[in-house]
Amino acid sequence: MFIKIRRDTLIILLLAFMLILSGRVMTYMSYASSTNVGDQGVQISGIIVKGNDIVPLDSIKSSLADVGFRSGSYIQGDTLVTSKRKVPLNEAIDNAKQAVMLTTIPGTQVTPIGAADVQVNNQTGIVTVNVIEDFSNIQIKGLNGTF
Amino acid sequence: MDRSNLTKFFILLITVAMVVNTASATMNVIVITDPTGKDPNGAAAGSQSWAENMFQSTFIMSKDKHFAVLSGGEGNETPRLGAIVSAINSLENGGTAAQAASLANGFSGIRVMDGGPTIGAAVGGYFLAYVVIVDANNTITITPYNGGLAVLPPGDRGAIIHLRNTPGNPQYGTADAVRLQTAEIMGEMIRDGYPATAVVAAAFKNVAINAGEKHGGGAVNLVSGITTGDMFTPPAYNTTGFSMDQPYSKVSPNGWSVAFPEADNYQTSPIDGTNLTTVYAYQALQNAITVTANSVSVSVYGSDAPGITETTQEIVEASVNKHGYSNTQIASDVNKAIGNGLLVGVNDVEPRDINVNQNQKAVGVYYTPLQNNRTSPPWNLPISSSILSILGNMQTAIGLILVILVLFRSTLISSFLKK
Repeated sequence: MFIKIRRDTLIILLLAFMLILSGRVMTYMSYASSTNVGDQGVQISGIIVKGNDIVPLDSIKSSLADVGFRSGSYIQGDTLVTSKRKVPLNEAIDNAKQAVMLTTIPGTQVTPIGAADVQVNNQTGIVTVNVIEDFSNIQIKGLNGTF
Repeated sequence: MDRSNLTKFFILLITVAMVVNTASATMNVIVITDPTGKDPNGAAAGSQSWAENMFQSTFIMSKDKHFAVLSGGEGNETPRLGAIVSAINSLENGGTAAQAASLANGFSGIRVMDGGPTIGAAVGGYFLAYVVIVDANNTITITPYNGGLAVLPPGDRGAIIHLRNTPGNPQYGTADAVRLQTAEIMGEMIRDGYPATAVVAAAFKNVAINAGEKHGGGAVNLVSGITTGDMFTPPAYNTTGFSMDQPYSKVSPNGWSVAFPEADNYQTSPIDGTNLTTVYAYQALQNAITVTANSVSVSVYGSDAPGITETTQEIVEASVNKHGYSNTQIASDVNKAIGNGLLVGVNDVEPRDINVNQNQKAVGVYYTPLQNNRTSPPWNLPISSSILSILGNMQTAIGLILVILVLFRSTLISSFLKK
């Protein structure tokens, strides 16, 4: 050995190591067992769509994701916080209604959703969308009249 | 000089003519094997083409009213949309398949095929089609139609297939032979009692291999309201979809699967070492739209995190096959998966979070997402977390002080001794 160490020094070092290790483990356990959610708001946890028949579910979900109702966004009080910006919740809901009504049949510009209602649950973060499809009053660019 | 210019001009003209004429170069097929609408696999439809842009608009389905509207993806976009929307509108208001399809005759160069288990099927507009009817004595009648309106009457078992070759398809010119061949195959399968989903898949296979009109598109099960969705459709505008004669994935007997091209790297299942079977796209299409005795429809609420839906589907299916429709069993299996780290970012579920409907073979799972970017649910310890946190920090501090003491040990001792 080229470093001379007394035996009691070694014991003290070992003790310190064990103390630090168990201390860190305890801190992790305290984190793992804590139920405190911190000051972050309610996350957007899921989207339930009702009333769609011909427009696919995925298209409506991606419309909602475009206006901020996507995973990773959260509600803080009356504000929807997304990865891009903060929007007042009622404004976000209005945007969502518009976006849902502009959802197309994939591969076309036909927008058959005539009315949409969006509700956000502030406690659970679940977004419920009710849509009504209407094929009797659709305007197609380049064709006269409605279909 | 003049002559070469003229040739170029003609080539240009021919190209323009080809592009304009792609309006109806596609395969559309609709099959009804149970006109009563009781067999969950008794009616199916689908579209594929050599051409680009075979999005979901080429195989539209109403899952509530059980009808499908098929069309080509290419060509004069605006009239096609007009024809599709008029046909949907007519069917929504209780029109028959023949009424809806005949509306396509009002738009130039357009074809619309539609149908449902109880309303029959029809194709209208510009098409080259065979109508296959299998009567109660199992006699197969195959009738060719060329434009106008062709009908498979309500209450009859049968099929309609439209097929034309897209210019540019290396197998150009095979459409007429393959259309008849496919109609014969479908007629025989319907006679032999195969479900409509299997007949449609067989038609996709035959057309994809022998006529080259092979890019998805996709198919729908009209009775159960299942669609292949975006499984085979093009990833972007002006691209083609998945080739229906290509290998799609590899699966093990226990359900583990991997999609191509990654599947090239696997010969056996990494979980249990069993041999993998290659699934071709037309088989994947059939599996996707066929309802089997042990298939469960799983709905997941509360978390849109990637992978949660798929993993939950697998877990619930395995649990139902093993223990039946018991919400306590499903909950405990889901919790086991959360404990293993298979499902990440959601809290443990309780039996009341599992909604079971045995008659419809449907299971709904309601998750509660974890806050603060946590990946697993909080541990249940007998000591409160704040006490643990204080103790842990104190121990760390004492440990660090001890290390410092050791480092400056001789200096400290000697300085004490001096005093």
